[in-house]
Amino acid sequence: MKIEDVVCTFCGCLCDDLVVEVDGRRVVSVENGCTLANEKFMGDHRLQSPIRRNGKGWEHISYDDAIRETAEILCDADRPILYGWSGTHGEAQSIGIHLAELLGALVDNTSTVCHGPSILAIQEVGHPGCTLGQVKNRADVVVYWGTNPIDAHPRHMSRYTTFADGFFLKEAFRDRRLIVVDVRKTESANIADEFITIEPGGDYAVLSALRAIVRGKREIIPPSVSGVSREQLFRVADLLLSAKFGAIFFGLGLTMSPGKYKNVRNAIELTEELSRHTKYTISPMRGHWNVYGSNEVFTWITGYPYAVDFARGIAFYNPGETTSVDVLRRKECDACLVVGSDPGAHFPKACAEHLARIPTIQIDPHTNATTHLSRIQIPVAVTGIDAEGTAYRMDGVPIRTRMLFKGEYPSDTEILERLYTLVKEAKGP
Amino acid sequence: MRVILRTKPRKKPFIPIEAEAIIPQNFLRKNDITVYEGNKERKLDEIFYITTEGPAVSPDQVEIVLSGETGRIKRVGEYMNAGRIVIEGDIGMHCGNFMSAGEIIIKGNADAWLGREMRGGIIRCEGNASHYCAAGYRGEKRGMRGGIVQVMGNAGDFTAEYLSGGEVTIHGDCGDLPGVEMRGGTLIIGGNCRRPCGNMTGGICMIFGKADAMLPTFRNTGSEEKEYGGHHHRMTMYRGDIANRGKGTLLVKIN
Ligand code: SF4
Repeated sequence: MKIEDVVCTFCGCLCDDLVVEVDGRRVVSVENGCTLANEKFMGDHRLQSPIRRNGKGWEHISYDDAIRETAEILCDADRPILYGWSGTHGEAQSIGIHLAELLGALVDNTSTVCHGPSILAIQEVGHPGCTLGQVKNRADVVVYWGTNPIDAHPRHMSRYTTFADGFFLKEAFRDRRLIVVDVRKTESANIADEFITIEPGGDYAVLSALRAIVRGKREIIPPSVSGVSREQLFRVADLLLSAKFGAIFFGLGLTMSPGKYKNVRNAIELTEELSRHTKYTISPMRGHWNVYGSNEVFTWITGYPYAVDFARGIAFYNPGETTSVDVLRRKECDACLVVGSDPGAHFPKACAEHLARIPTIQIDPHTNATTHLSRIQIPVAVTGIDAEGTAYRMDGVPIRTRMLFKGEYPSDTEILERLYTLVKEAKGP
Repeated sequence: MRVILRTKPRKKPFIPIEAEAIIPQNFLRKNDITVYEGNKERKLDEIFYITTEGPAVSPDQVEIVLSGETGRIKRVGEYMNAGRIVIEGDIGMHCGNFMSAGEIIIKGNADAWLGREMRGGIIRCEGNASHYCAAGYRGEKRGMRGGIVQVMGNAGDFTAEYLSGGEVTIHGDCGDLPGVEMRGGTLIIGGNCRRPCGNMTGGICMIFGKADAMLPTFRNTGSEEKEYGGHHHRMTMYRGDIANRGKGTLLVKIN
């Protein structure tokens, strides 16, 4: 059976035009997807049942036992942390936050290692953003700063920018100008009209210089700024100012290099400065397919987008203090529940070591690096294949993911609901 | 009155303790003072051996001495408005948050957000201070607004972010972006730092060591002599941050 308009639950593009052929409980083929999507839908390396570490290795256990033991571990902890959430749907995220409140736990999502700094910058100076549809139809200058979409978001360019014809850009590849800024020449840089190579850690200075140039203060710019010549800066500023509608996209090259959220703030303030002359927008290139959704759901319920600490019964937020990397590095927490993420692969070594030291439970369909640090793993259905739920695209547009067939695994929502019920019983009224 | 709080051994010594209740004014009343250890509320005597010496009729007559494993104790001195706190060793995050008067002496190192959004009083840290020393809370447009912070050692990144008033002196080195978004007050750095005063709109920053990776958006406006550590130093004077239409003053020693 061929199913149309399937949503790909891999990256933040959340492409919703895939055609997937299904035979019973097996995906047979994927059309329109990129190679990442093909691997996501066709890859079949699921964990068969919940597993628990015993003295010698792993043993298979029932879902009932796994959930009960997880509840006991979390109830016993003085500083539990519930981490991940970006690889599951909004309904499950919502239960996770309520569970954190009940437990007095710290709840954090993967923004902590990706666009958390972008959110901090947005909290300081706002977000002049727009939907990807606007970019596709209007943007005649596109900037990718510290991001390499050809590798990380393979269909971003073909659906929304360089290769996508839009309402006001009938021949996109010719009509749109592309600027790529990075510390090395990437695949995306190869097709850019202007490629700026910045010395690592030099983004802040280059952004400041561009702001000053756009403000008409060219005379103060030194001959070279972080490896970028004054002439190129002037040329890029002129190109930026020539746009009728410009769209800036930025990635971890900006958020995770020295200066972090101050880099993003500087980029937002450059966007604002450009918007005094023409129309500009700026958007983060979100990674996990539903990381934007985790920020949304966290914010509705707690008022904060990530790194929320319920230890005192009320929500407290202070990235750097309540972010999971910092908490793990300081060995603060004494139990961890991981849902829809792989901190074993993404976190620094000291954090992974602490995860291995404390009881860590993972809810995830597949074995991954975190499995090796965990005490229990509970497999679940994959959202977008055998589970469904709401996700948010990188531009904040909610998209309902589809279930392609009814499988034998429970969804994240079902597992978390059962866990919540047990914890509620244990905590009493 | 002198209150001595010495930490008891804990089963999980890495779990932070939130102790905003440890301020002189609270020890005048003999109320039950509680702190939080992770998600559990604890009586003060579950965490500390408590000794009290002498009487006091007002908070400025109260001195609190903290000793033992105090490096994980957060928010000590929060909203303090009189008296004195002496910390014999290290102290956890947010020491002296919003304090308006009184004195805090830290004999060891201070963790992040020392003197966050402080309004008045004095904090003296004899060791190093971590990131965001004398800065603001997330999203807050004004950081420290008054008072004095003195760090005898080094400070981390984002020192005095959003500084709006008062005086911050770091006698050692600072990390990246000290005085970022600064809008008033005075920041003095005795040692080296990186990328000072990005986006500053007001205030004065003086650097008596080296300023690495100076931002390109400061205009050189001449030189001036300043005194630090009993010596006079010739300084280059910059105005900026021009990227932000700033009118701040940045003085960097001519080496
Ligand atoms: S670009 Fe991203 S969402 Fe689109 S098909 Fe590829 S992996 Fe899936």
